[in-house]
Amino acid sequence: MKIYINRQETETSATTVQELAQSLNLPERGVALAINNAIVQRSQWAQTTLGEDDRITIIKAAFGG
Amino acid sequence: MLQFITHYTNTISYLDSVRLALEGGCRWVQLRMKGASEEKMLPVALEAQRMCREAGATFIIDDHVELVRRIGADGVHLGKNDMPIDEARSILGSGFIIGGTANTFDDVLMHHRRGADYIGCGPFRFTTTKEKLSPVLGLEGYRSIMEQMKAAGLDMPVVAIGGITAADIPSIMATGVTGIALSGSVLRAADPAAEMARLIAITENVKHI
Repeated sequence: MKIYINRQETETSATTVQELAQSLNLPERGVALAINNAIVQRSQWAQTTLGEDDRITIIKAAFGG
Repeated sequence: MLQFITHYTNTISYLDSVRLALEGGCRWVQLRMKGASEEKMLPVALEAQRMCREAGATFIIDDHVELVRRIGADGVHLGKNDMPIDEARSILGSGFIIGGTANTFDDVLMHHRRGADYIGCGPFRFTTTKEKLSPVLGLEGYRSIMEQMKAAGLDMPVVAIGGITAADIPSIMATGVTGIALSGSVLRAADPAAEMARLIAITENVKHI
């Protein structure tokens, strides 16, 4: 599935935010994540599903170098 | 995404403002108590952090790097006259969000090189909240900075700040910024929590790449 992470087109096999977070090795704390401008709180990551062309914003220390 | 920066009025304390923002659905709070010492901020910061954790909100603190480290907040926001971002990074390491204030593309570039995670970019228009004012950016200023970032391949999130009202949000988001930071305007509303919810809905309803 094609999604955008911080405006970069990305292919992912993740179906939920939690799976995406794991694939990106996001830490347990100090991360703000939004889908299509809406912040998703961490407790909702496992049940929040990703859709084609979703725009993900990740604000995280030194994300992506 | 919408970041709320704490503020106070005659009837609303800093902690009240955090509570109202969270009630309105805000999930990104910056505690800013301009001029306050670390010791004075500590109890407020601990309580604000507790409320944010309970709500699942990201909690960052303005300026006070040591306080952020001490209580384990999610991150720090550094203004133009605060500690340089690379210095804060060397103190905090990679596990904390560090944001920096930028007024120009050169500021953005400098913050990026020093290891910032996001940019607070403004002011959009003249505001009385900040004592030290930089030139206002307006929509054209955001367009220009976002274009230069794209050309330079910088994909850092950018949050627009400074005197932004509900009516401004769609056109500011259309310049390509990631989000909006709000402070005083929310508290001046008759029902601040409802106003926060309304502003979040406006921000989230913007559809663009």
